[in-house]
Formats: sequence, C-alpha cells, structure tokens
Amino acid sequence: MLRKPATWHRRHDVPWLIAFVLPAFFIVVAVQFYPLAYSAALAVQEWSLTKSQEPEGFVGLENFVEELGDETFRRSVRNSVLITGGAVILEMILGVCLAYLTMGSSWRMRAVRTTLILPMVIAPVAAGTLWRILLNYRAGLVNHLLSLIGIQGPEWLASPDWAIISVILLDTWQWTPFVLLVAGAAIASIPGDLLEVAAIDGASRWKTFLYIELPLLTPLLLLTLVFRMLESLLSLDSIYSLTFGGPGYSTYTMTFYIYTQGLRNFNFGAAAASSWIFMAFASVSIALVFWFQRKDW
Amino acid sequence: MYSVIHGIVLAVACLVVIVPLGYLIINSIKLPREFLTIPPTILPTEVTFEHYQDLIDDKKTVRYFQNSLTVSVWTTGVTILTGTLAAYGLARMRLSAKILALVTFIFLFIRFYPRVTTVIPFFLVMRQLDLLDTVWAIIIGQLGITIPFVTWLMLVVFQDLPSEIEEAAIVDGASVWQRFSRVVLPIVMPSVSAAAILTAFLSWNEFLIASSVARRKASVLSIAVASFVSDKGIQWGPMAAMSVVMIVPMIVFALFAQKYLIRGITFGAVKG
Repeated sequence: MLRKPATWHRRHDVPWLIAFVLPAFFIVVAVQFYPLAYSAALAVQEWSLTKSQEPEGFVGLENFVEELGDETFRRSVRNSVLITGGAVILEMILGVCLAYLTMGSSWRMRAVRTTLILPMVIAPVAAGTLWRILLNYRAGLVNHLLSLIGIQGPEWLASPDWAIISVILLDTWQWTPFVLLVAGAAIASIPGDLLEVAAIDGASRWKTFLYIELPLLTPLLLLTLVFRMLESLLSLDSIYSLTFGGPGYSTYTMTFYIYTQGLRNFNFGAAAASSWIFMAFASVSIALVFWFQRKDW
Repeated sequence: MYSVIHGIVLAVACLVVIVPLGYLIINSIKLPREFLTIPPTILPTEVTFEHYQDLIDDKKTVRYFQNSLTVSVWTTGVTILTGTLAAYGLARMRLSAKILALVTFIFLFIRFYPRVTTVIPFFLVMRQLDLLDTVWAIIIGQLGITIPFVTWLMLVVFQDLPSEIEEAAIVDGASVWQRFSRVVLPIVMPSVSAAAILTAFLSWNEFLIASSVARRKASVLSIAVASFVSDKGIQWGPMAAMSVVMIVPMIVFALFAQKYLIRGITFGAVKG
C-alpha cells in the first residue's frame, strides 16, 4: 500500500474537520446568536403585542430609560441582589463546612455524600413545588416542626420579607451540594504532606486551615462563587413554582421580571431592553469566570 | 466528643435532604382530606394511589410525559451526534491558542448569559416559523444550550487524548472519518455516555424554553409541575404525584451514574 506523508494528511483533513464542526456551528448560530441580535434590535424598538402585531418603530434608548425608572424593575434588581447575595453566601459557608465534614472514602461518607447531592439533581421547578408544600403556613411540615419546639412559624410565602427568605432557603437547599462537590474536590487535591508539616510544626487545625488551606482554596472558591452567583441570578424555575414572584411583586427577580414582561405582558421592547441591562452585568461576571479559569494562581 | 458532634451534624444534614423528599412521596399517596389537616398528617391513615391513577387516566398528563420523553430523546441524540463531531473537529484543527481561548469564551458565554434575553426573540422566530406549541420548538431551543455544552465537554476530552493513538492510523492512510469512528470513538465512549446522561438530565429538567414556546399541546412535565398552582387553588395530591414522577427518574439516574452527572454539573468550575 502506498503511504502518503503526514503533511499531506494534515491538509487533506481540514475540509473534513470543518464539515464536522458545521452542523453544530449552524445550530448554535441560528438558536443562540441570531436571537441575541434580534433581541438587541427589539431593545431599541417600541413593540407591545397587545397593541400591535408589528414593531411600532425605532425609539432609541427610550426603553432603557423607561425601564431604569420603573418601580417594578428597580424592585426586581433589589430582590435579585438580596436573594442571590443571601443564598450564595449561605451556600459557600455551608458547602465548605460540609465538604470538610464529608472528607474520606469510607462507605459511610460516600453514602452521606450521595444523599447530600440529591437536591441538586431535582428539577428546580419540582424543588419549588416541593417547598411550596413544605412551607404552607397552616398545614406545612416546616411550621409543624417549628411548633413542636414551641415556635410559631411565620407566613413563609404570604409575607413579603419571609417570601424572600423562603426563596433563599430553597436556593440554599438545592445548591449547597454544588459547593460541597467543588470544594470537596479542591480540598482533596491539597497535598497531604503540606498539612503534616504544619501539624508537626505545632499549628492548630484552625490555623492550618486559615493560613495554608484557605489561601490554596481561594481561587477555586472565588470561581465557584461567581458560578453560583450567575446561576442563581438566571434561575427562573424555582421562583416560578415557589412564589410566582409573589406576594405582589415581593419576590420578582430580574429574570422573573423580564420573563413576565416579555412572555406574559408581551411587552417585547421593554423586556428586551431590561434583559440587555441585565446582560451587561452578567457579561462582566462571565469575563471574571473566564479570567479566573485561565489565570495560573 | 468531636466525632459525636461530627456525626450529629452530618445526620441533620442528611435529614434536611431526605425529610422533604420523603414528605413529598407521602403526600403523593395520602387521601385528599388529609392534605390541609392541622397538624399535618405525617403518617397517612390510609395509603391511596388515586393521585397516580388520576395522572394516568388524564390524557393530558400522559401526553406531557410522552412529550418530555420525546424532547429528551431527540435533544440527546442530536446533541451527542453534532456535539461530539464538532468537538473532534475543533480539537484536531490545530487552532492557535488565541482562537481556542475565544472558542472557550464563547462556550462559557452561552452557558452563563441571561437566557431570558434570547427567549423572547426565540418565541417570535418560532411564531414566524409556525412552530409555536410543538415539541420541535422545545427541541430546537434546547439544542442551542446542549450542543455548545457537550462540544465543550468533549473538546476537553479529545484534547487530552495522546496523539500517538491516531498516528498509527494516519500512517496507514486512514481517513479522518475512519480515524474518528474506528480509533477515537471507542476510546472516548465512556465520556460520550457521560455527556449523553448529562444532556438527557438537562433536557428533562429544562423549564424556561419549554414554558416560553409550548404552554398547551406540546407542554412537558416541567411545565405541568408548575401549573398545579392554578386559579382553582393548589391541587396538592396531583401536584405531589406529578413532582414524584418528575423527580424519581433523576434520582435513580443520580444513584447509578453519579460520577458522570457530577462531572457534568461541576464542569467548568473544576478543571477536567
């Protein structure tokens, strides 16, 4: 058989390789980038489906100005900050603690880890309904358990403040396992001799954690933090089924607000504009993740 | 002393996970009259499967279940096919480091930008194509998420593959396609199945796209679960039963394919 030189193959390969990439490329352009451009175009037009079947013309930045001044929009931003901030902080603390507590490869620890991971695999929309059942004021399990220890449980989903807390609880319940997993993997990769040296030198467990492990873990924990922050900001499902933004507008988040603006009120221009305001913030965070991943610490 | 506290903390953590799930299952098998009792009925006096029976009898929920399956199967099939091919193509193109970084950034961007931005135009495009309220609209929409994700996942796998594996085949004059299908694919099959499991998982649980383009005929389970909170008040029994139907397959998945699922869910946060 005639053997061809490897360089011939390299050149000959390229059309094939391009053909391999094309189907995926076309789908992604059609389903992601085209709608993205479309959305940018919508953001500078006046278009409410309830008033007109066609876009009603170019309005420049008017949608953006209107949205930034809108009471509900501002409230959604505030709610998003509260919910995501609260949930992510809780998740980081609980997740890292649990990661330390579940170290080891005994069958018992593995069973515990498998159990703790379960909330993460549940569809967020189902997790929302589940907690809606649990947090029912009168007949919910949570308030019943609280009453057993003599606490009169709050009206979780009916009071504006407690509703925010409920959403934070749900997010924490479902996503602490994520931090547990990532932090667990990171802790396991710390060289054991490093810790031994510290122990021989007489450092306490706490000091070893603070001065040796935490600095090593920081880059990954920061990455996890931004990861969780983005996911939490973008989530719609759990709020949809837990509170549906209620009571009133008290748990409207950015995502929920944009969703209802666009697909319930069919106010396309306004929804697109507010989604691009949101996008600006998200892009900065994504750039941060990218930078974290590529940086050698 | 320390180990006792350690044990208690872990036991409490496990209870916080298990009790809600157990309570959901109990709710799905208790009598309607026991739903809003005070105190709540934790152990039902009588076990009933009427809520499940209702789901099976209701043509609508059966169709939701079928739709969910159809969407998951198609999304997974098309994603694995195109995503794996694309990843192989990208990995063997000898792209410069800068271009590879750009590609990675695009994947990362698609994974994390506010998807709600594109949902509205996607809805309008589907309306123009007359695909609103069909499973195809859901499948196409989900492909936009799952293909980049799987491509990224597999790109890392192919990049890590030593080039010697293919060199012998190159010398023997095998074409790209032969190298891919006969040499490389069998080796990376475990990663491909991991990607498939993950895609099915994402597709089954997906809500945003499904709820924006298919609210009626082509509705899927994730939408149905959320829709029990209706104007008529909450239908506790069917809602619990439906949630169980939705959750249980994923938990079984998680128990058997835990390693794969975890790798996928934490992908991007943990290298490799």
